[in-house]
Amino acid sequence: MEIKVLGIGCPKCKRLEQIAREAASEAGVEATFTKVTQIKDIMAYPITGTPALVIGERVVSSGRIPQKQEVITWLTEAMTVS
Amino acid sequence: MSTLTYVIQLVQGGLGNLAAYLAAHVLLCLLPAFFIAGALSALIPREAVTRYLGRDAPKLISYPAAALGGFVLAVCSCTIMPLFAGIYKKGAGLGPAITFLFVGPAINILALTYTGVAIGMDIALARIILSVLFGIGIGLIMALTFSRDDASHAEETTGAFAGTASVSTGTKVFLLLLIALLIAGTLQVSVLTNDYARVMLPVAGFDRLQEALDQLVPFDPSQGEEGVSVQGAILIGLLAVIGISAWFGLNRVDEGYNRWTAISLSLIALTLFIASLRVTPSATALELRLTGKSLAVAAAMLGLLYVAVKYLDDYQTQEWLWESWRFVKQIFPLLIVGVFAVGVIRGWINPLWIQTLAGSNTVLANLVGVAFGVFMYFPTLVEVPIAKMFLSLGMHRGPLLAYLISDPELSLQSILITSSIIGRTKAWVYVAWVAVFSTLAGWLYGAWVDGMSVWMTAALLLAGFGGLLTILRWVSKRQRASASAETAESKRAEAV
Repeated sequence: MEIKVLGIGCPKCKRLEQIAREAASEAGVEATFTKVTQIKDIMAYPITGTPALVIGERVVSSGRIPQKQEVITWLTEAMTVS
Repeated sequence: MSTLTYVIQLVQGGLGNLAAYLAAHVLLCLLPAFFIAGALSALIPREAVTRYLGRDAPKLISYPAAALGGFVLAVCSCTIMPLFAGIYKKGAGLGPAITFLFVGPAINILALTYTGVAIGMDIALARIILSVLFGIGIGLIMALTFSRDDASHAEETTGAFAGTASVSTGTKVFLLLLIALLIAGTLQVSVLTNDYARVMLPVAGFDRLQEALDQLVPFDPSQGEEGVSVQGAILIGLLAVIGISAWFGLNRVDEGYNRWTAISLSLIALTLFIASLRVTPSATALELRLTGKSLAVAAAMLGLLYVAVKYLDDYQTQEWLWESWRFVKQIFPLLIVGVFAVGVIRGWINPLWIQTLAGSNTVLANLVGVAFGVFMYFPTLVEVPIAKMFLSLGMHRGPLLAYLISDPELSLQSILITSSIIGRTKAWVYVAWVAVFSTLAGWLYGAWVDGMSVWMTAALLLAGFGGLLTILRWVSKRQRASASAETAESKRAEAV
C-alpha cells in the first residue's frame, strides 16, 4: 500500500510521517512511504492545508496531525477495501 | 583600549541586551503569545476560515476573510504557502490569495505582541491597521491588473473549500482566556499596576546580588539600555529550568502526559506569576508586592485550567501544548542568538549614520527602511530587537514601520516560492507593490507621529486608494473592451 505525506518539510510534516510509520508497523501493514514536497504536486490533491496524509491515493486528513489510532483505523479500512 | 577589553565590552553588550530582553519583555508577553499561536494552530480547523475563501465567495467577504484569516492561519509557514496556492488555484483567486500572503506575516500574533511590548503599542496598532488595509489594496490591484489571467486559469472546482467545520464554544472561551492572559500581562493601566498586598521575604543579601548584577551587565539608561534586576535574574533561571523540563515533558506530549509535563506546566505558571509581581530587594529582605497584574494573571491561568479540563478533550490539549512548544523550539533559539547579536552589533554602529539615512520622515528614508527589510533576512521575531536598536540609534518611527512591514513580507526565498506558484511576472509586480505600499505605510504613519491629524491621515489614505482603484478599473475595462472587440473581430473573420 502506498502512503504519501504531503508537506513542504516543516516540523509538522515530519511528525506526521513519524506517526504514520509507527501506525503502519503497529497495524502490521506493509507500506511504502513517499514524501511529496513540491507545492505543485501537493496542490494536485484537493487540500488547503499541510501536512496531509494520503493512503492509496485517498486523502484521509489534511491541515492537522491525526492521532496514531486514527491512522491505524484508516490503514485497516484501506486494507479491507483493496 | 586593548583588543581584549574591546571584545569583552562587545560581549557584555550582547549579554546585557539578551538578559534585559529575557527579563523585561519576553515573559509576560511572549510566553502567552506562544501559547496563543499554538492554540490557533492546533484548535482552529482550517475550514472555519477557508470556507469564506471559495471560488464563489463574493468579494466583500473573501477579501476581509483573507486579511483576517491570516491572523488565524498564518502562524506557521507550513500553512501560508499551501493555502496561498490553494486560494489562488482552487479558491477565490489571485486577489484574495495575495491579500492573505501580504497580511499573514504582518499580523502574526507573536510579532504583534512582541512589537507592542518592545517598541510601543502605537506601532503595533499601525502595523495591524495599515497592513490589513494595504493587503486588501494590493490584492484588489493585482486582481485588476491580471484580471484576464485570473478569469482564464483553471476552471475546475474542488471540494477543498466546501468544509463547514466550526469552532466549539469551549475552544472560543479558551482562546479568549489566553488573550486575556496576554493583555493582563502587557497592558499598563493603573488597575493592573497598582499594589494590593505586600509580603516581605526575610532573606538577606539580595541587595548585594543586585549590585553584582549591575556590575556584570553594566547599562546606560540614557541610551535606552536596561539592566537586569534580581527579579529578572530569577526569571531567567526559571526559564532555563522550564526549557529543560519542557524538553522531557512537551516534546512528545501528543502521545500522552508524563510527570515532566506537569512539572514544566507548573513552572510556567509560577514564572508568569513571579513576572507579574513587583520585587524590590533591600538589605534585610526581599519585598514582594502583589499587583493587579498578578491577580489577573492568576485568575486567567486558573480559568484556562478549568476550561481545558472541562471542555477540551485530552487530545486537543495535547496538540495545543505540542504546537506551542514546537513554536518555542523553532523560534526561541534564533531569537536568543539574534538578540545577542544585536547587542554586540549595536556597539559598532555610529548613530549618525542612522540619523542621516532615516532620522526624519521623508519618502527616501522610508524607502531605505523598506530596502533594508527586503535585502536583509532575519528569522521570525528577530526583526523586532533590530528595529528597537534602530529606534534607540535615532531612526524615525515612520521608516521604522516601513522596515517592520517589509521585512517579514519579502525575502529572496519567499519571492522565489511565490513566483513558482503564480509565475514570475505576477510575483515581481507583487514585490514592487509591496515595496511601494510599505514605503507609503511608513510615510503616513511617520506623518501622523510628526503631528498630522488622524482625519487627515485617513483622508489621504482613502483618497489615494480610491484614485488608484478608479484608474485600474478604467484600465482593465478598456483592456476587456479591446479584448472582446478582438474576439468579435476574429469571430467575424472566421465567419467570413
